[in-house]
Amino acid sequence: MTDVRNREAQEAADKASTYEWGFSSDIEQEFAPKGLNEDTVRYISAKKGEPEWLLDWRLKAYRAWLTMEEVDWAKLDIPAIDYQDAYYYAEPKKKPTLASLDELDPEIRRTYEKLGIPIEEQKVLAGVEGARKVAVDAVFDSVSVATTFRKELEAAGVIFRSISEAVKEYPDLVRKYLGSVVPQRDNYFACLNSAVFSDGTFVYIPEGVRCPMELSTYFRINAENTGQFERTLIVADKGSYVSYLEGCTAPMRDENQLHAAVVEIFAHEDAEVKYSTVQNWYPGDAEGKGGIYNFVTKRALCAGDRSKVSWTQVETGSAITWKYPSCILKGEGSVGEFYSVALTNNYQQADTGTKMIHIGKNSRSTIVSKGISAGRSNNTYRGLVRVNAGAENVRNFTQCDSLLLGDQCGAHTVPYIEVKNPSAQIEHEATTSKISDDQLFYAMQRGLNAEDSVALIVNGFAKEVLQQLPMEFAVEAQKLLGISLEGSVG
Amino acid sequence: MQLDLPSNRAEAWRWSDLSALPALAGEPKFAGTYPDFHQLPWLGDAPEGPRLVFVDGTLDADRSNPGPIRFGPVEARAEDHPLARLAGQQGWSLRLGPDHAPTGPVQIVHISTGAADHLPAEIALDTDAQASIVETYIGSGWTNRLTAIRLAKSARLMLSRRLIGDSGFVSLTDRAELGQAASLISVTLAAGGTDTRLDGRIDLQGEEGFAEAGGTLLARGRQRHDANLVLRHSAAHGMSRQVWRSVADDKATCSVAARVEVARAAQKTDGEQSLRGLLLQRSATINAKPELEIFADDVKCAHGATVGEIDRNALFYLASRGVPVEEAKALLTQAFVADAIDRIGEEAVREAFHADAMAWFGFPLPLGEEGARREAVGR
Repeated sequence: MTDVRNREAQEAADKASTYEWGFSSDIEQEFAPKGLNEDTVRYISAKKGEPEWLLDWRLKAYRAWLTMEEVDWAKLDIPAIDYQDAYYYAEPKKKPTLASLDELDPEIRRTYEKLGIPIEEQKVLAGVEGARKVAVDAVFDSVSVATTFRKELEAAGVIFRSISEAVKEYPDLVRKYLGSVVPQRDNYFACLNSAVFSDGTFVYIPEGVRCPMELSTYFRINAENTGQFERTLIVADKGSYVSYLEGCTAPMRDENQLHAAVVEIFAHEDAEVKYSTVQNWYPGDAEGKGGIYNFVTKRALCAGDRSKVSWTQVETGSAITWKYPSCILKGEGSVGEFYSVALTNNYQQADTGTKMIHIGKNSRSTIVSKGISAGRSNNTYRGLVRVNAGAENVRNFTQCDSLLLGDQCGAHTVPYIEVKNPSAQIEHEATTSKISDDQLFYAMQRGLNAEDSVALIVNGFAKEVLQQLPMEFAVEAQKLLGISLEGSVG
Repeated sequence: MQLDLPSNRAEAWRWSDLSALPALAGEPKFAGTYPDFHQLPWLGDAPEGPRLVFVDGTLDADRSNPGPIRFGPVEARAEDHPLARLAGQQGWSLRLGPDHAPTGPVQIVHISTGAADHLPAEIALDTDAQASIVETYIGSGWTNRLTAIRLAKSARLMLSRRLIGDSGFVSLTDRAELGQAASLISVTLAAGGTDTRLDGRIDLQGEEGFAEAGGTLLARGRQRHDANLVLRHSAAHGMSRQVWRSVADDKATCSVAARVEVARAAQKTDGEQSLRGLLLQRSATINAKPELEIFADDVKCAHGATVGEIDRNALFYLASRGVPVEEAKALLTQAFVADAIDRIGEEAVREAFHADAMAWFGFPLPLGEEGARREAVGR
């Protein structure tokens, strides 16, 4: 229901934007010509004023991409994508501007309120005219705070930049690590991203530094839209620690249908990186029309001994999700963790999971995946645990549970276990269940309505994962699960 | 003959290695004489029943006692399977009318003297019919089989197979359809020197069907065992069990990909998978893929998979009680593989299988004493 109304609201807003609140013509839009060829790649690179080596790198990726084929092993029904029928470079699109929050679709506003987003922040999200400055004031205490953050980070030696800035300011660092974890030819979508990535984030935490605050793209993305081919590179030097938050719990309206992002994490000795994602992109309407295709390659290289990378994700949005945050556990005693909640409703499809490649001795990994399917959606966990011959005393524990809400959805589990070392201890457990009538009765008997009861039970089901999220994220994510399930009960 | 073999880029063949097949198929057949009827690895203790001997895929009529089994055209098709479609259309068939049962277990011995041989088979049991079939594969070539199984209402089939040839390749493909309340139990033991590829697709089409498919894969040297099983629940109230135990030594590889599919209509399905692997050497590999594909919401499906080495605590416990280490290892390994073999209903068959497993380990232990003394051919 929400989605239908959201869509209608979006259409209304689109319509409105062409009228009085449509934005003025004095903003110059610059497009690369439609389609993808070497010139497009050169155009993007030139537009961003990139050095020669990066252009060469992009071109190499583009040429490799031409020889590759789209993958089809996932349990996904992906409509054919015409890569020539898209713009690969455009100035960020503006959202339709509203004069005040009253003009916003009440349904969207209700969602904001349910999520507990402050009024001023709501204005920014809804694109209310003149709100940005106020909102930035309210949320981040104005630009000054942003710069305070930046000063604080710089005092600690932390580099936190958009990747375009980083290319100019720290070319050696970027050049050294870009593509070191996800090589250009890794897969079709990563290769495309390497050729045409629009922007993204670069983070470098120097040796021994514990990043003084949780880094969030959210701070930065408010300033500019990073577009559909995002590239994130996080380097944690020896003994450092960083917690990075990606995404936003508020419903994100995005015009780009195809998202092919790449996230690379490089962890040196004793470094620890915690990467949390909440993804709530437009999932399409209740009939399965529209929605974002989210094809993301996320990988961490635990290169140093005792390094640790922890992925936590809450995936509730996107029409199609194809995403496998992975850890290459190369360092001795390195640790990989993957905590995931994937919720699909209506016609959404998700094929997500992780890969834990154990190369180093005494490396350990934990996988906890909770899949929730409702409506007519399909939700697949696909994971690989590989233990190489030289990896002694590896431990892995995998748990993947599926919850089915309704009898029109599907829940699938496809774990791969490949072990070449006898000292490894690999355990895999999985269950599939539905909400029992007893549970539901118990909750309702205490005065909750059916929808709230289901949300409560689903939150309990996902608790192990939600606990891994930073506090403020966890609260929002909990509410988000409830909201995403709306219309699937009763 | 030109072989059109799948590469391991195809998902279902990811862990396979079929590279030896063309050479095997081209090898000359063994020219000497093969053992006479009584020296074949029959199950001595089992009650007398129909017995068949196939040499390189051809029925040796003189040395067989077919009983109700016929030889001729069979209804078994698997055009989508690259190996099974080679099987042809002339093979053996066991068709039983309502309430019928053969007098004892049906024993079939497949001898391969080299090169490649292909053979289809058909097992069709009518309402309430029941049968127990024991297949033994020995020899050295490439033995390729396709078995179509159709069980009508309340029919029961126990299918036990042992692959104890000394070299070569055995590929078995099963296509089974189960009617209402029908029951199929299939147990496979690979305890020889052959490489294997086992494919199975079992479809529980009637309500309250029961299917069990599992086995024990023992590999050493550069051997490869590769099992690929799909158990599909198409109707409600079905129950399925998949129990696989793999042991890999030296540079060997054991792979098991087992899938439970639950269709929209198959509510109240109860499915369980247990895939466990034991590595005896650090150069060996165990692959497991316990897969669930579920479209119904009121089902109970669970799977478990573990891979590891022999439990050191258990080993210590036995050693502290005076059991020599090698024997303790064998005992623990026997216990490990027993789970899968114990699914066999008839005692005589079960013990023979245990004995084969123990012979592979080189320890004829009490449980399989009788069978282990028996001289198996081709070993």
